[in-house]
Amino acid sequence: MRYISSILIFFSLLFSKELEIGSKIPLKDHKMIDISGELLTLSSIRGQNGTLVIFSCNTCPWVIRWEDRYRTITNKYSSKGIGIVAVNSNEARFDSDDSIEEMALHAKDKGYQFPYVQDLGSKLAYAFGATKTPHIYLFDHNDILVYRGAIDDNARDAKNVEKTYLADAIDAILLKKPIPVSTSKALGCSIKFR
Amino acid sequence: MKYLLISSGFIFFLVGCSTVELIEASSEEINQYVSEYKGDQAVLLNIWATSCAPCVEEFPMIVQLDNEINDLKVLFISTDFDDEKYKVSKFLDIQNVNGVSFIKNERDESFINGLHPKWSGALPFSILYGKKSGKIVDYWEGKEPELKFRESIQVALAN
Repeated sequence: MRYISSILIFFSLLFSKELEIGSKIPLKDHKMIDISGELLTLSSIRGQNGTLVIFSCNTCPWVIRWEDRYRTITNKYSSKGIGIVAVNSNEARFDSDDSIEEMALHAKDKGYQFPYVQDLGSKLAYAFGATKTPHIYLFDHNDILVYRGAIDDNARDAKNVEKTYLADAIDAILLKKPIPVSTSKALGCSIKFR
Repeated sequence: MKYLLISSGFIFFLVGCSTVELIEASSEEINQYVSEYKGDQAVLLNIWATSCAPCVEEFPMIVQLDNEINDLKVLFISTDFDDEKYKVSKFLDIQNVNGVSFIKNERDESFINGLHPKWSGALPFSILYGKKSGKIVDYWEGKEPELKFRESIQVALAN
């Protein structure tokens, strides 16, 4: 049974392509439970100027290292019409490290000022082609994907960042300018699909 | 010869009586090292991190394959942060990894694309190079069962 499940996951990943730049937000009305207990959708989270979707989790060391930047980005842009959400798609860990209770504790501990939702069935992750945490997707005011990839180029040390990919992309959509770099890559923890 | 090729800019870390040499390397240096095995052994690159649970789960099985299959060379590439080298050396020692092992010393994006342009950066990541051709015959992201490894290794040994 585990072997069959592994095969299914392998083929799902093999054929789940990352969302292309220029694509519309998929599964806008997929309901996800927030740590507040509310059911939220991307439609309800979206901002008037754009929407930032962060695939995240509680324990990944890359998430832990980058989380200070979650706060910086939120402080700078949530008041500027950018809707922000962290999505936990680690369904295989929903009964342990990534339970809704652990997510609530984690969000409180790290001072999250944005919704942190559980993606049942990892449906959003499959639809986005997200493979890891953190994995960033930024949509403009028309819900069109304009940037995907990393927050910046240095998880370990915010002071030594050379390329502020995400902040540059958000600045560009707010100024209605072209996105300087529309995709980037960084290391991260595999999303734990069931 | 292989040691000469990787001498520049590398740092060796020995932990106690460990037989592991943990070498800092870029993707270019790793690719160069892998190419040395062409015509001699198939190569399995396994890119991992001590803090990556699925990496740690599949690690002993990969060490076992390395010990069992003579014509296969397994190279582990740690992506741990550079302040975690001692932790990496200790883990390799506990897992009875012998010889050379690597830890990345390059920014993520160039490292990822340098090893495989289709790799998203998710861990673990495995790449198999053919014994005769030295070319990539298979690659995958995430943890896989032993059977998947064995089947791909057979393809690598035949190519």
